[in-house]
Amino acid sequence: MAISFKRDEPGSGPAGTAPAGGAGPSGDAAQGIAALQPMLLRLARLQLRNEAWAEDAVAETLLAAVEGLRTFDQRSQLRTWVVGILKHKIIDQFRRGSREVSLEAEEELRDGDDLGELFQADGHRVSQPSAWGDPEQSLARVEFFTVLQACLDQLPAPLARAFLLREWMDFTTADICKELQVTSTNCFVMLYRARMRLRECLETRWFAGDGSKDHG
Amino acid sequence: MASVFITCRQAHALLSGQCDGALNWRQRLRLRIHLLGCDACAIVRRNLALLSRAVHALDQRMGG
Repeated sequence: MAISFKRDEPGSGPAGTAPAGGAGPSGDAAQGIAALQPMLLRLARLQLRNEAWAEDAVAETLLAAVEGLRTFDQRSQLRTWVVGILKHKIIDQFRRGSREVSLEAEEELRDGDDLGELFQADGHRVSQPSAWGDPEQSLARVEFFTVLQACLDQLPAPLARAFLLREWMDFTTADICKELQVTSTNCFVMLYRARMRLRECLETRWFAGDGSKDHG
Repeated sequence: MASVFITCRQAHALLSGQCDGALNWRQRLRLRIHLLGCDACAIVRRNLALLSRAVHALDQRMGG
């Protein structure tokens, strides 16, 4: 996908280069919006888990943001404002793809694993979880968020969708059930599986490895 | 009547439900009793709290 914001002046450089002059505040903001594109695409991919839907959601977001720039309150953060638009466009995509989304959720619930390997027959854990140390240290590190993205990416699509709707989009579980067209019980099952998988993944790839200590 | 003592496996499911504000008083009570005597589940509870905070911050902290 390539969306760029062409300037009126003939001979101006490609999008992303500094304006030669004459660009007002809205020109700067349009450039700022264009610069957010890679980040928006990563978010959309994580939440939608469908490349075409993600690209469509981001394209719609960029267009809506540029067209709506006049309504943007300059005192607020551009990134936050645009991410807010993206969230709405992501929901639109979920609705357009609702059939596929619900079929994949059914499949996960039918065939997905039940985390049996984490527990012994008597219900005790197989391995002891480790305390993750000072949360602030990890949350302050960009590398931690790269690992988190990788862990989200490893989740089966329906689990990642349910989990991010809940924890990133702040949906209620009732609304998640509606979007994914699953029963309330199944909704909790998917959120449970997602959290346990993510916990294991972060423990292995960040907290147990050297990742959390590299630049400590 | 089911025991007031639950397994770690059951407690993990309740910990997830707690993140969604989905527990009734009986489930909350059983979870609290379990957590009194189980360090592993207490750790998992803190892990899940950090996970939640991290995902909320994802769009602010993500590179790019």
